[in-house]
Amino acid sequence: MTQTLSKQSPASDAAAPSGARGLLSRLDQHRNIVVPTVAVLVLIIYFQWRTESFITATSAQNILNQMAFLTVLALAGTFVILIGGIDLSVAATATLAGILIATWIDKFGGPLAIVMVIVAGAVVGLVNGLITTMLKVPSFLVTLGMMSVLDGISNTVSKGGPVSYNSNLLQNLVNESMIPNVPNGALIAILLTIGATVLAFGTSFGRHMYAVGGNERAAALVGVRVRRTKLAVFAVAGAVAAIAGIIFTGQASTGVPMGAGPSLLNSIAAVVVGGTALSGGVGGPHRTILGALVIVLLSAGMDLTSVDPYTQLVIKGIVVIAAVALTIDRRRYGVIK
Amino acid sequence: MSDTKVSDTATISLRGVCKSYGPVHALQDVSLDVSRGDVLGLIGENGAGKSTLIGVLTGTVRPDAGSLDVNGTHVELGDSRTLRELGISVVVQEQSLVDALRVYENIYLGREGEIGGWGPGRRRRMRDAAQSLLDTLGIEGLRADAVVAELTYPQRQLVEIARAFSRITDATEAPVILLDEPTSALTETEVEILFALIEGWRDRVSFIFVSHILQDVLRISTRLLVLRDGRSIETLSADGVTAERLHELMVGSERSADYYREGEQAGALSTNPLIELRNAGSTGEFESVDLVVRPGEVVGLAGVIGSGKASVAATVAGAESLSTGSIHVGGTVHEHWSVPAAVAAGVLYVPPERALDSLFRSASIRNNISIGFLDLIRHPWTRLLRLRTERERTTELARALQVKAPSLSTPIGELSGGNQQKAIFARWQGRECKVLVLSDPTRGIDVGTREEIYGLVRSMAASGVGVLLCAESLEEVIGMSDRIVVMKDGVISAELAAPAEHKPAEVDVIKHMM
Repeated sequence: MTQTLSKQSPASDAAAPSGARGLLSRLDQHRNIVVPTVAVLVLIIYFQWRTESFITATSAQNILNQMAFLTVLALAGTFVILIGGIDLSVAATATLAGILIATWIDKFGGPLAIVMVIVAGAVVGLVNGLITTMLKVPSFLVTLGMMSVLDGISNTVSKGGPVSYNSNLLQNLVNESMIPNVPNGALIAILLTIGATVLAFGTSFGRHMYAVGGNERAAALVGVRVRRTKLAVFAVAGAVAAIAGIIFTGQASTGVPMGAGPSLLNSIAAVVVGGTALSGGVGGPHRTILGALVIVLLSAGMDLTSVDPYTQLVIKGIVVIAAVALTIDRRRYGVIK
Repeated sequence: MSDTKVSDTATISLRGVCKSYGPVHALQDVSLDVSRGDVLGLIGENGAGKSTLIGVLTGTVRPDAGSLDVNGTHVELGDSRTLRELGISVVVQEQSLVDALRVYENIYLGREGEIGGWGPGRRRRMRDAAQSLLDTLGIEGLRADAVVAELTYPQRQLVEIARAFSRITDATEAPVILLDEPTSALTETEVEILFALIEGWRDRVSFIFVSHILQDVLRISTRLLVLRDGRSIETLSADGVTAERLHELMVGSERSADYYREGEQAGALSTNPLIELRNAGSTGEFESVDLVVRPGEVVGLAGVIGSGKASVAATVAGAESLSTGSIHVGGTVHEHWSVPAAVAAGVLYVPPERALDSLFRSASIRNNISIGFLDLIRHPWTRLLRLRTERERTTELARALQVKAPSLSTPIGELSGGNQQKAIFARWQGRECKVLVLSDPTRGIDVGTREEIYGLVRSMAASGVGVLLCAESLEEVIGMSDRIVVMKDGVISAELAAPAEHKPAEVDVIKHMM
């Protein structure tokens, strides 16, 4: 089914611009991956120069621990943002998952409890998805409401206080190190990122996700089952958020109501700083881990250099805005809302 | 032929306008005069330059060369504000009303202070002014305080018209109203209202009337300007001109048989239908449509905008659903016909609005192509996409279709319209195609790419693909099709054979469209 159509010169697919200008323009093309990478390096070098103890084993472990939770939580959000929606309930889902794992782990045994919690997370996501797709309520509002619902359930289950448990499975799974100096939690985060990246770029489902986020109408007209894709994305987001909750409880050693709540904005910041556009269809899980690293390095570094906590908030906010301003490709947007 | 002399009191006089978009000459040395008492009919096929000329007159298009004189004084072109203040206003095809506002608010949008004054009671004064305007214009059944979102399409068109009239005052220097396809959305009664308005205001305002509907143009115009390929072909008095004569002027001497590769036209290879609509209907769009597409034939769908032809094409492709009747694919009834079902059955669709319906603008050209056949490049066991196969296939397809781009990783939004459309065709070349449904496949595309697309359609048809072609350009439908199904008001009004050696004339098709 390939025929030559006219006598014009054939397409050149590999003729990249050469020389220094070519390199610059290529860097510019990939700036949404270049900017966060450079940011990570700059932060490490700067804080190392300021404290000389930034790259020590303890500090690195601390950073990796923080990164583990934030990365997994932000991964959950990434999927929904890629289809052009937003999931504000990821942190509340994680909190509920953290409470549920603490409640169930001694009752049902570790592995079964973990599976049950992840399924519960997926069900929460599915409900979000069903309401958005069937009732056509914007995901922003559905998940905003869901956030409150889930916080209520978490507090009901935990009776408003911390939930303790005896099993040491989570301790092994999250805090021990199979690879020296790398807590297993961070390993899980890295493996999940790899898995999510393969899912995003190497499967039809992933491509459909980008298609729906990029142009929903065109996706439907090319044969993508839009509704099914959205439902699956919300379910995956819920399941991944549940894993974040399990990591959180493992690190805290108790189930804490409202535990993951404050991390919601950090997780969205991580997604955006990584270079995934809130408009959908652009970005990916591999970028989110970079974004999470930027956020975590920044706060860990500021803690070590004893920056006043209120000033820290100001700086973090500025970094998020600056990151988006640097990353966004304005030629693509006619209107910035 | 140009027997009307330009009157000395020409209100506006446009001279020697040229405008190019890259290699395309949209307008070449076009001149135009209108004065009070004139209704200038502006006609030409799609792409003849009408829209560009309207753009120049309203200031949205800045011409490369040309001048404008208003009552003898020179006026700068390319500034919409200046032109609007002179009194040149336009009623456009794409409606420009704000849905959430009321009729009077829309009419006086941006001129609230001017009309309603300041202080309390402004809304009431504006509403009264609008109501008396509507009454003066003889537009009945339309309340000035109705919310636009609740109006029907023709009613909105009347609001647009009222807005254009509201700009004309005694102090207006050059009262000109441009009507761009004003009647295509109107019912007969509303057309009568509009024509009565034009008649009644002719001595105060000059009109430029642009329309595809030649009967309307002939009825209302005093003079005619015919555009073809960006040039003015004729300026003539409207007295005693026939629709046939106008058509000849618009289309030019003959349709180029080579352009549409009519020599390669072979007709149906078999009588067994690939896809068939039986007594099909879709509420508000079309009814009792019987349509058959056989292997190797190109079936053209002709009709005016709103005749239901685009909807029929979309239905065949699974993008819209039937409310009555049935769809048969390869002889068997399909109950749940949808795009995924159609794609699986090899019924592939190129929808009309490229940017809205087909493109993933920020995704790479490669991903825009492979989205059409991801299911075919999955690994049988792992279900993962074979990325190398994807790269090879897309490269091959892009080369075969001559998609010109620096790299296949380039976002498709950065390509020209023609290259984008070729990538869309490449998308479907990656899988087995039985029926190709094309809706305006060459809209906004340069001539060279058009030829390539026609060649591709011909060779697909020769290999046994059935093609359903729905297009705005009648010339294209006639040139490409073996058989033309003409639609009017949601039903099939005629079916014409169009073999290569005996193509119907445009007039013969048009008489079934109106």
